[in-house]
Amino acid sequence: MILELKNIEKAFGQKRVLSGVSFRAESGKAFGLLGRNGAGKTTSIRILMDVFPADSGEVLIDGKPIDYNKIQIGYLPEERGLYPKKLIIDQLVYFAELKGMSKREAVKSVDYWLQRLNMTEYRGKRLDTLSKGNQQKIQLITALAHNPDIIILDEPFSGLDPVNAMLLKDVVKEQIKKGKIVLFSSHQMNYIEEFCDSIAILNSGKTALSGDLHDIKRGYVRDRLAVRTECADKIKSDFKENCSTAENGELIIKLSSADNKRSVMKQLVENYDIDEVRVYEPSLNDIFVEYAGNEGVKENEAVR
Amino acid sequence: MKQFGKILKFELKYYLKNKVFVGVTVFLVLLIAGVMFFPKITESFKSDETTNSTETQPVMLVKSEMGEEIQQAFSVVFTDYEVKTTSEDLEKIKEQITSGEAECAFVITGNASYQYLVNNLSIYDVNTEIADSVLIDIYRMQAMMSSGMTSEQAGEIISFTVDSKVISLGKDQMQNYWYTYIMIFALYMVILLYGQMVATNVATEKSSRAMEVLITSAKPTAMMFGKVIASCLAGLTQLVAVFGSAILFYSLNKNYWGDNQIIASIFDMPVELLGYMLIFFVLGFFIYAFLYGAIGSTASKLEDINTSVMPITMLFIVGFLVVMFSFAAGSVDNTLMKVCSFVPFTSSMAMFTRIAMSTVPWYEIVISIVILIGSVLGIGVLSAKIYRVGVLLYGTTPKLSSIIKAIRKA
Repeated sequence: MILELKNIEKAFGQKRVLSGVSFRAESGKAFGLLGRNGAGKTTSIRILMDVFPADSGEVLIDGKPIDYNKIQIGYLPEERGLYPKKLIIDQLVYFAELKGMSKREAVKSVDYWLQRLNMTEYRGKRLDTLSKGNQQKIQLITALAHNPDIIILDEPFSGLDPVNAMLLKDVVKEQIKKGKIVLFSSHQMNYIEEFCDSIAILNSGKTALSGDLHDIKRGYVRDRLAVRTECADKIKSDFKENCSTAENGELIIKLSSADNKRSVMKQLVENYDIDEVRVYEPSLNDIFVEYAGNEGVKENEAVR
Repeated sequence: MKQFGKILKFELKYYLKNKVFVGVTVFLVLLIAGVMFFPKITESFKSDETTNSTETQPVMLVKSEMGEEIQQAFSVVFTDYEVKTTSEDLEKIKEQITSGEAECAFVITGNASYQYLVNNLSIYDVNTEIADSVLIDIYRMQAMMSSGMTSEQAGEIISFTVDSKVISLGKDQMQNYWYTYIMIFALYMVILLYGQMVATNVATEKSSRAMEVLITSAKPTAMMFGKVIASCLAGLTQLVAVFGSAILFYSLNKNYWGDNQIIASIFDMPVELLGYMLIFFVLGFFIYAFLYGAIGSTASKLEDINTSVMPITMLFIVGFLVVMFSFAAGSVDNTLMKVCSFVPFTSSMAMFTRIAMSTVPWYEIVISIVILIGSVLGIGVLSAKIYRVGVLLYGTTPKLSSIIKAIRKA
């Protein structure tokens, strides 16, 4: 299954929020939707979920307009919150039923997920008696319980401790393996880099960059080498101005041309004590700053 | 439709499991039970006291030249008092009253003058009026007898009464007054109370951000209608519980209420009026509950709710006051009321009052109900649209114009 957004445009009154958002996500793969605050991520997600229609543009599944009666979507919003005063089991079953499950299916599925996330003991408790992280796990169940085809997770890792983050990672990997389309929106680049095969970066309501993350990285000119070594000083003095130190302590050697990277690699390995040498690829962080960072994007307070 | 059913069930459960809702209902039923059983309870206390109750009757002193005759006449009319004649002087009588020996005293100084002495004058004290009529009767008797009539002839003239019977071909306003009053008041209370509850309910979902999930899970129309109909059913449940228990307790205690005209007239209400009550309650409720729901969706904080719903509440209260004033003045068919009985925001109360208190042509009733139903549907759909736009707006409460713009867009 392929989900495609094509040239989505949306304005609220005079304010243009989206002016040409396009991206493509495939089932069995995770997709990262990136952008600074106010770039139009949430609006794009809401249009994708049919909360309101786009002014123009299309949402397609396998090339045909999406049929919301057939395609189920699970959503973990960035703004978390359910009914604080209601029993956890009651509200989880309610949300699953709203998505079209029968009561029995809903109870069964919710119980499975409570157990999967180690939350069974809280089944009959009120939501506001739980810690923030646990409330977030409960909310995650509302996104998963109805067995959706598309799962949208907005900042899923914020507020989770490392153990819970690990649990969530496993769950997400399971879902990807099951052939779901998993759509991430996050500012934590390391998670996106870990999960997502393809990304789109939005800037001021436009898709600034989209595609396969690997291809994007390969698309940069491969004329730099990253070197991990104990004898950095010696290399520095030999390579002089072509050599710089990265934030993580690695040496970055700029080559005169991408063609002679193999000869320089060989030269390094033969002459110095080298732990690792590879072609330098920009991190997602670098790419993000390059595509999303330059223009000042005003935050739209009224409609996000 | 399926979603609507689930929402309705979930929301209804919220009311029926709500401690305040259950508490208020139980309290009201108990209160009604208390009122309805009151005569029975007082009766049972009285029966214990009948043996010694004669001794506790307050004393009324009468000082007069006429002597025994006046004492007898007063004893007949002042059955609550032990009437005693006295010949003490005024100061002594005053002393007796202030010390509590006697409760009051009539010092009759002539045919047409007396002094009434009492310690604390109650606002319900009608003793002087009774005494006036007794003295007037005595004077007339004496006058007639002195001009040659026998005491029988004079007595016949004095005790002459006119026998009259009023036949009302339309509605008897006296008869209908109390139950109409109670019904309008119930309508007013329930709509105001539940309307606010709908608004708070929506605003709570919004401020707790449960809305973020809800709006992506269910259609706004299903949400709005589910919520409003659930609160309407909850309101009806409460009304049925309160009125039902009132009728039940009344029928259990009917004998003890005896000939209490007000209570009897309340429980004597015609069944078709209950039917009208139901129709106008439901439709009027929907109009306001939809508006309250829509307003609730535009507030981002619970604290803003009270100010946001003010215009709707004011509209409703103005309608209520118009109806109440016309009702109290007995002119339920004045022009203002006629207009109000076709305006959907007021017709539930105005038309109902007119039906109860006057004779309204059937086509006017039909027109009013049709307008109401049309408005309910229109306002329902409109409020669902406002809701869809409103729930996603955070920050300052948006202006009306910007909401309208957004609805047109959506």
